[in-house]
Amino acid sequence: MITEQLKKAKEIPVEIVEVVKQSVINTIESIAGEAPTFMYEDTENGPLNGVIGNIAVFNPEYTFSLMLVIPKDTAIKISEAFLGMELSIESEDMGDLIAELSNILAGEVAANMETVGFRGQSSLPTATRGSDLRLFMPNKPPSAKLRFVGNVGDFLLNMALSESRQ
Amino acid sequence: MSTIKALVVDDSKIMRSQVKRALDQVTIADFEYEEAMDGEDALEKFNDDIDMLFVDWNMPKMTGVEFARAVRDQGYENIPIIMVTAEKSMGKVDKALTEGGADEYITKPFTAEKMSSTIAKFFDARGNLITDEPEEEKKSFFSSILK
Repeated sequence: MITEQLKKAKEIPVEIVEVVKQSVINTIESIAGEAPTFMYEDTENGPLNGVIGNIAVFNPEYTFSLMLVIPKDTAIKISEAFLGMELSIESEDMGDLIAELSNILAGEVAANMETVGFRGQSSLPTATRGSDLRLFMPNKPPSAKLRFVGNVGDFLLNMALSESRQ
Repeated sequence: MSTIKALVVDDSKIMRSQVKRALDQVTIADFEYEEAMDGEDALEKFNDDIDMLFVDWNMPKMTGVEFARAVRDQGYENIPIIMVTAEKSMGKVDKALTEGGADEYITKPFTAEKMSSTIAKFFDARGNLITDEPEEEKKSFFSSILK
């Protein structure tokens, strides 16, 4: 059923966006102890100083790329919530932490997507750290940018839908 | 109190530290650690001195489930294998316990309390590791997960 919708999708189906939104809330709550609030769907593509966690939930037909876009101050607060100590944004451990956070999010997304008929698995996560980072999507795939705020600060989840490469 | 040698397998250094930190808070036994970055690395480091395995699922080279299966296939039927993973769908839990032969399944993120209560069943009242887990207990654990 959802596969049929994805075939014709110019935008990511609302039920998928809702599942991902809730998964983000559940994941951050499980780490920070407080549920973040969804603010709005963002259209800005401003530069980021911080960390981007990248991971995909995919099956042989479709891939959902998830990018967790975390500003420096939020990343530091997440490290304190998760590890009980602040990590430096420049440290390798910070990249490892945000990659692992993306991995936990993808596990939640994959489990929750099954409820709307998409059965997929997670890729391995990666993380990119730096300043003046911008997200570019050359082929303009169906995508959604979800902005959240919580006790660890604000952050963004960018998701894009594409056909899986065989 | 016995000293348990645990092999902690995860491609994330942060998560290996988290597992060790949680185990350090377990009062039922003392833990010593060996670490591995993926299933292949874990197979190289696995030996008869290892008492318990804490294994992530999603890793490069060889997944945690493949590693767990390889350990069982080498004849280590009774060594406790605890999956510690972000994968949380019921299909994945089922696969880890059946195909991988894992004994327990902890989803990330976890608390020290969750780690402690999960591994408590592997120890007797004196803090000694029980390696002959009754088959009935496995079945009841599996049923409780599926409820």
